[in-house]
Amino acid sequence: MQSRRMPDERLAVGLGASRAGANRARRRPSRQRRREALWAAIFLAPALAAILALRLAPAAEALVTSLYRGFPGGLRPQVFVGLGNYQTLFLSQAYWETIARTIVFNLVINPLQIAMALLLAVVMTRKIPARSIWRVLVFIPATIPIVGSSIAWGIALQPQGPVNAILSALGGSVQPFFTSPQQSMASIILVASWVGIGYWMIFLISGIDAIPEELFEAAKLDKAGPIRTFFHVTIPLLKRPLLFVLVADTVANFVLFVPIQVLTGGGPESSTTMQMFNAYRTTFGHSSKNMGAAEVVILSLIMLAFVAIQFRLLREDSPRGSK
Amino acid sequence: MRSRARFHTGNRIGGTSWVATVSAVLLSLLFIIPAFWMMINSLRPTVDIFESLWPLSPRVIIPTSLGVENYLTLFGGPFGRAFLVSMAVCLLTVMIGLVLSVAAAYALAVLRFPGRNAIFAAVVISFMVPFEAIAIPLSQLFNDWGLTNTFMGLVLPGVCNGLAIFNLRQHFLSVPTSYREAATVDGASELRVLWSVFVPVSGPAISNSALLIFLGQWSSYLWPLIAVSSPSLQVAPLALAKAFTEHSADYGATFAGAMALAIVPATLMLILQRFFGRLAIGSGEK
Amino acid sequence: MRHFTISLGAASVALLLALTGCAGATGGSEAAPSAAAWTIPDSDPTATIQVIGILDPVKEGMNAVLAAFEKDHPTIKVEYEYVAFNDLNSVLDSRMANKDGNPDVFWADQPRTAALATRGFAADITSQFGPFKDKWDPAPYASSSYQGKLYGVPIANSTQLLFYNKDLLDKAGVAYPSADPASRTTWEQLTTDAKSVVAKGAANGLLFGQFDRYYQLEPLSGSLGGSAGATGDDNLTPDITSDAWVKAMTWYGSIFADGVSPRGVTAEQTDSLFLAGKAAYEVQGPWLLPNLAKSDIKWGVAAQPMFAGGKAETPTGSWSLALSPYSDAKEAAAIFMRWMSIDGGGGYTLNRPDPELPATPEAKKVYFARDLFASEEGKKAASIIDFESSNTAVPRLSTVGYVEFEDVLGRAYSDIRNGTEAKTALETATTELKTAWAQYGK
Repeated sequence: MQSRRMPDERLAVGLGASRAGANRARRRPSRQRRREALWAAIFLAPALAAILALRLAPAAEALVTSLYRGFPGGLRPQVFVGLGNYQTLFLSQAYWETIARTIVFNLVINPLQIAMALLLAVVMTRKIPARSIWRVLVFIPATIPIVGSSIAWGIALQPQGPVNAILSALGGSVQPFFTSPQQSMASIILVASWVGIGYWMIFLISGIDAIPEELFEAAKLDKAGPIRTFFHVTIPLLKRPLLFVLVADTVANFVLFVPIQVLTGGGPESSTTMQMFNAYRTTFGHSSKNMGAAEVVILSLIMLAFVAIQFRLLREDSPRGSK
Repeated sequence: MRSRARFHTGNRIGGTSWVATVSAVLLSLLFIIPAFWMMINSLRPTVDIFESLWPLSPRVIIPTSLGVENYLTLFGGPFGRAFLVSMAVCLLTVMIGLVLSVAAAYALAVLRFPGRNAIFAAVVISFMVPFEAIAIPLSQLFNDWGLTNTFMGLVLPGVCNGLAIFNLRQHFLSVPTSYREAATVDGASELRVLWSVFVPVSGPAISNSALLIFLGQWSSYLWPLIAVSSPSLQVAPLALAKAFTEHSADYGATFAGAMALAIVPATLMLILQRFFGRLAIGSGEK
Repeated sequence: MRHFTISLGAASVALLLALTGCAGATGGSEAAPSAAAWTIPDSDPTATIQVIGILDPVKEGMNAVLAAFEKDHPTIKVEYEYVAFNDLNSVLDSRMANKDGNPDVFWADQPRTAALATRGFAADITSQFGPFKDKWDPAPYASSSYQGKLYGVPIANSTQLLFYNKDLLDKAGVAYPSADPASRTTWEQLTTDAKSVVAKGAANGLLFGQFDRYYQLEPLSGSLGGSAGATGDDNLTPDITSDAWVKAMTWYGSIFADGVSPRGVTAEQTDSLFLAGKAAYEVQGPWLLPNLAKSDIKWGVAAQPMFAGGKAETPTGSWSLALSPYSDAKEAAAIFMRWMSIDGGGGYTLNRPDPELPATPEAKKVYFARDLFASEEGKKAASIIDFESSNTAVPRLSTVGYVEFEDVLGRAYSDIRNGTEAKTALETATTELKTAWAQYGK
């Protein structure tokens, strides 16, 4: 009964909320509700304490920092400037370009990675020999420290590197990859996807594995082909893990900067300068932590908008898992 | 409670799918070949790596001499100890992190209480905050709390993993409510419902969350860099970064270290797949 | 669902507002400790000092240096923390923010002296170390000073040489460049020769040890009469679009366009390529010498080229040791700094197995007497190093905005290397510098 979990309209605002279920809700004794609230407090207290102390408190401090202006290095007294740092950023043509680049990057890389991860997850949940081996092989890039794999790709994609050696041996022409403003972003996407796809795949594999077998059997009885089965059975029943993967991947790509730092340094001609890399450079490279904090606040707000849209797009229309 | 014994051996309709098999092999090759090249490079001297880059020759994947010198050098130095420190830090982080995350996810997915959505929103925001943005303020807090240069100081920032909570919450939402009803009718406490009903049917979700927490901590670089100055608490990624000096870099050692660091989570994933892969929702209900 | 989206927004605002109240304004309220008068004591105090450096204790021999110090000064214990070169800035920023005297002493990049001083990271040590001025070569002393005050003690110096691969040059029938600084070759001649070697199958003609780094490339524009990169009282007015700069950088761009030099190769990879026999020439510092001695490459050495009709200029400068103003063991720290930099010519270069070029004339004598310089090419290298470091060395730009300068210019170099027109790239960099330097304006 979905209604057991979502008994009250005021509470039925969570992700799994079913309006139909909520409407059928019946009030339960307040003792029961108090008991649940008490358990919730016990279960949440440690995690909430950790989140407050280790994430939100320093984040609030960063927010405050963004309202001040100080000498680089941060030892000299800083002065309150309100939104002055934000004003400086928004008056800069280069910063607007950085924002646009970040958004375009995310509009490309996230659907690409999710589609590939989904394709792999579907393939890897079919009946194939030595399945766990193939899964691990795809997952391995995610286990290699990203600094290490960035360095390796930097060598592999050099103008005189092995990838170009293969290309020219096959009769193709040598590609500039990271050294041209036209290809640098695509090359970063390649590296980040090589790392990320296998990682997100495993979450989708678990999701597909959790789909009741009967539904696939029923689809087969209906003579549904693999593609129809995918869109009418797999996808609708995969919404929850898909939402997780989409949100987590989006966040990961918004804050991605190691490959950029190792491979392009934001270039050529700023073609790979994205917000997180820029903020990192401002904060740790130039030691301007006030301006860096303002850049991160803007980035976080854009990220928040993306994530909110994703929660909205992948809302659950019909509850499942209960009869 | 209905009993639906299903085993998720992937026997989705019919026998072995050859199309899927061929795709699986080809796709895995795509992912593994660059990693394989890295592994080969970890087995040869730096100069050999650069000699073999261009033009195309078999030497790019067949080294003139295979040797484990890079690994010996690496583990003979501070990397060996740092590797063990990293293992200990990650183990403790995963244990604490899982307990926090499972409990919080259960509350957010199953229990009803006022402010649930606001708290979930706080969880979502917590994993959106870029850690690089809060590292310096956090390190000053840790300094005030006396946690700088301590083992727990390395562990704590990793236990707080909003993504793990989110992942588990998504899974717990899919657990049929009938499971919990049956248990509460028998008078089980929430703790018991969580432990005996939800945890047994959540193998893959819990192991995926363990992997999330593990990898987050295993790869952490900036935090150990600024929160720890004592060489005895140095973690592996930091020890590895020192293959890069002002003017040159030991690429052989870098690749060897990257491989050594990759083996642990890769093995962990294999083990988790083996032991928890089958503890899915359907199979848990007997 | 809509509710959740709203919650997400509302919660973020509420949480941050609530926490903002708690967090309050922080940082910067405490005044930096005053530079109270103190002197380097005659007898050793008993103390432990914390030192942050960029050298590997084992591979780069810092343990040997520290053991020698503790033997000379048994009551002073040094806790040495090795930080990767690329991380030094981040580590210093976070440690100095704690203001707790960890570290007491740290490795300071000489061109950053002005920035470290104005940021309050490096203490004014003029009264303690000023009297030793004559112990050092003039260039490293000047590079450790800012506005007439001393903020660091130099422990090393550097210069650049032109190394070449004899086999590759022989194969192409190209003459070896001259080791005599007076008849040094030109960049133009070198480009022509490098092209011939590449035409005979060499993978690369010319490598700069540190592609795209200001240290390495500044002498190019300097050789044509360009300034160090900025003008004005505080060196805060960018000056990188002069004819000299544009001409020099146009040449820099051309060597990549013409296939003489490789794109996509980083500063850390160049030595490996040269040692793998993949390049005819490499411009690099004396630190390549120990690696060459260990390799099978048949190598030769020459003076760094200059542009035809220009003047000879070479890079210089290295690292100093700076004292934290928050140090709680200043006396012991000063004894350590003096030992590393001055005593006997500098304990640092005297005790490192593969030493750097010293910053004192006294230690240079010991340095040149090493086995490394005993071979025929080694002798040539020694005389070039000696000549360049005292005749053609030009220090890097001294400005409080050096950190941004180095970063912005590095990107301009990189863009030029990847095909952007020199003038365009330098103009873009000028605009960026003006923005970045606005914060230092009065």
